[in-house]
Amino acid sequence: MRELQELSSKLLSEGDVSVVIGYEEGPRGVRPAFIRTPEETNRLVFDHRAVQNLAVYLSPRRAHLRKRGRPAVVIKGCDARAVAGLLRESQISRDDVVLIGVRCGGVYRDPESNGPLSEENVADRCTGCDLREPGHVDHLVGELPSEPPATDRRKSRIAGIEAMSPEERFDFWSSELERCIRCHACREVCPMCVCERCVCEKTDPSWVESSPHLRGALAWQITHALHLAGRCSDCGECERACPAGIPLSLIKGKVNQVVEDRFDYRAGDDPDVPSPLGDFRLEDDQEFIK
Amino acid sequence: MKPEKLYLTEAGLAKLTHDLREAGARVIAPVLATESSSNPVADYREIEDAGRIALGGPLPRLSLKEFFLPPTEALLSWRQVKGDISLDQPSGDYPRTVVVGAFPCDAAALPVLDKVMGWDYRDDPWFGRRKATTIISRACAVKDSSCFCPAVGLSPDSLKGADILLVPVDDSGNNHLVEVLTPAGEELVEAHRDVFESPPDEGKADELRKAALDRASENLDIEPGAIKSWLESNFEHDVWADIADRCHGCGACASVCPTCHCFDIIDEPEGIDRGTRRRNWDTCQASLFTLHGSGHNPRPEQSARYRQRVMHKFAIYPKRFEEILCTGCGRCSRACAAGMDLPEVLRTLDQLASSSEKQTEASSTGGVG
Amino acid sequence: MNEATAARPSSEGEAFEPRIVAFVCNWCTYTGADLAGTSRIQMAPNVRIVRLPCTGRIDPLFVVKAFERGADGVIVSGCHPGDCHYTAGNYHARRRFAVFRETLSFLGIDLDRLTFSWVSASEGRKWSEIVNETTARVRELGPFTSYRDLVDEG
Repeated sequence: MRELQELSSKLLSEGDVSVVIGYEEGPRGVRPAFIRTPEETNRLVFDHRAVQNLAVYLSPRRAHLRKRGRPAVVIKGCDARAVAGLLRESQISRDDVVLIGVRCGGVYRDPESNGPLSEENVADRCTGCDLREPGHVDHLVGELPSEPPATDRRKSRIAGIEAMSPEERFDFWSSELERCIRCHACREVCPMCVCERCVCEKTDPSWVESSPHLRGALAWQITHALHLAGRCSDCGECERACPAGIPLSLIKGKVNQVVEDRFDYRAGDDPDVPSPLGDFRLEDDQEFIK
Repeated sequence: MKPEKLYLTEAGLAKLTHDLREAGARVIAPVLATESSSNPVADYREIEDAGRIALGGPLPRLSLKEFFLPPTEALLSWRQVKGDISLDQPSGDYPRTVVVGAFPCDAAALPVLDKVMGWDYRDDPWFGRRKATTIISRACAVKDSSCFCPAVGLSPDSLKGADILLVPVDDSGNNHLVEVLTPAGEELVEAHRDVFESPPDEGKADELRKAALDRASENLDIEPGAIKSWLESNFEHDVWADIADRCHGCGACASVCPTCHCFDIIDEPEGIDRGTRRRNWDTCQASLFTLHGSGHNPRPEQSARYRQRVMHKFAIYPKRFEEILCTGCGRCSRACAAGMDLPEVLRTLDQLASSSEKQTEASSTGGVG
Repeated sequence: MNEATAARPSSEGEAFEPRIVAFVCNWCTYTGADLAGTSRIQMAPNVRIVRLPCTGRIDPLFVVKAFERGADGVIVSGCHPGDCHYTAGNYHARRRFAVFRETLSFLGIDLDRLTFSWVSASEGRKWSEIVNETTARVRELGPFTSYRDLVDEG
């Protein structure tokens, strides 16, 4: 923590960056912090509650943040996947940002949790994490902690849904998506949702109905999942942001699993590895095509 | 009118629920949405028996608003056959509804919204549903550190918007003192007299009410009037950029808010010859909300949009309708993925207001000297 | 109620006739379908063709929209691998649709309502088989009302 604070203080006082985007204590657990002076760097914290994916603040849609100067961003290994995605798609250039990587031993699902990390409270994405130490960063802080506890919670929920009949699955998702109010919080917190104008808000032609009825909600979730195929960094922020508690990371998890099984691709921290849906192999499986 | 006081036991509530449904009413109550005990969540839903009511459970994820201003509703549908266009409008009949166990912060929002809904034109669907609904509130025991109803002039046992108030009289929370507050409440009690008992056993009702008010009052202490004046004279202020830095502009706060009521009207065609005009929830937190056809956006940045939300609640609405557009339920803080916190923002504004007041005093004293 | 559904009674003894939308590429499958027609090959009349330049141009949302507007089944068809007029459009489409169909299936859409095929300009016979098979399969499944009726005016 001290190392992170000192580094941030140095970056700010030397004028390398005008803001350090990290984590601080908030009224309800840890939250994103915007530190603009060396004196404030003592507010920076990093622990299991540092759930949020701060890469979202680099998105070109946050033009107002860019106007306030060059940022340094604190990123965990999983967040580095989103940064790599933004770099890969030329949404940001490497010089726009200073990356402070933190070695991470896992985070909770909920930034308001406390106590030791356990199978019950650990975030789904931490299981089998291969990025406890993010690469492609400018600075790296912290000691390498031990591996986070594993959970098969999401995997078994996905398997449970796969085991259902199509009608049961349709009913299951209908009962979940019925609560969708189309606030699009899932999109706004998504670091990979970079479109200036989302397809689901276009009205001429209108491809995705914008009303929060089930048909519109289903079309939107299909769209979001497919537009993220091979791009999703699996940060889980869509599900965490949903005020209606819809288990969106089951959809994203399923799509990521399909991408991994079919194209042998897992989102990583290297921006030079091409995205699988922007790429192909002559010998790709086509068992579903007549 | 001094409220009539009665008594309702757990069995009485069960019978009331049953009898209301027998009489053809839809009964809405907070119910648990998940079985998980570690992090229980609730929603207001139609119930079939009182056993499902989560009395004293968590504050439902969405407020009662969704039953009066649904997330989406059809205003009309059209159909064209050759040159003839026919329109179909909803009947305007709304189901008789009784809300049992409404949280006072949700009930209080309804009369606040009546003002805007009946202002420049009368919103028939809103008032149709209002008229068809009787609200039985239940005094709240205060959920957590994000609750701040006393700071906006309400209380955990607020009568505002309620036709009947239930106050728990013991620690079980299942037996209630009943205060009948409005003619609609009287009508309901009259129709179901047999489930209520009299005279009431007031038990620990007063003690529990006071304890809840004390707890909620601790969370936030502000002067809304001073904040209003400060907002009105400090439209351009650096504080908004700092406050809104972390805000995603996702609008989850507006979705869960009992008082946010902005909507969008959109025509949804089904092919070329028919379609539906719908009213859907919208939010000032979305950049599209104010985007003009010309491409100009008067609120181009999140700081301006967040300022709008606070301004509307604490300055614009109070100025026009003499009501704060906030009931202190704290849902916005709980729903925020980025840790935006309205009580914290209000505290900041309150400090700015009081320090600018002091400055004004100092300069006017200086002027005299 | 949708006119499309009204015209197809399924409960009053008359057989249900599915409405199927085919999104096909201009260079292979469309020409193949044309060949089927000029060769006078008999096939089910249930398919409405939408012609696009390439399978790479077929956005999965087209399929979603078709279901929303009353299609009971959808066919997506284009050039065989190696035959793409634009060199690689169908390879990209192949990856995209591989993910799309598994996502749809996960959300509860019966994949029997969806056919993917490669039909070249000389495969009129194959096109007629795809059309007949798909029509028979979807007829068996019945009308896809559960999708278009997701809008509930409660």
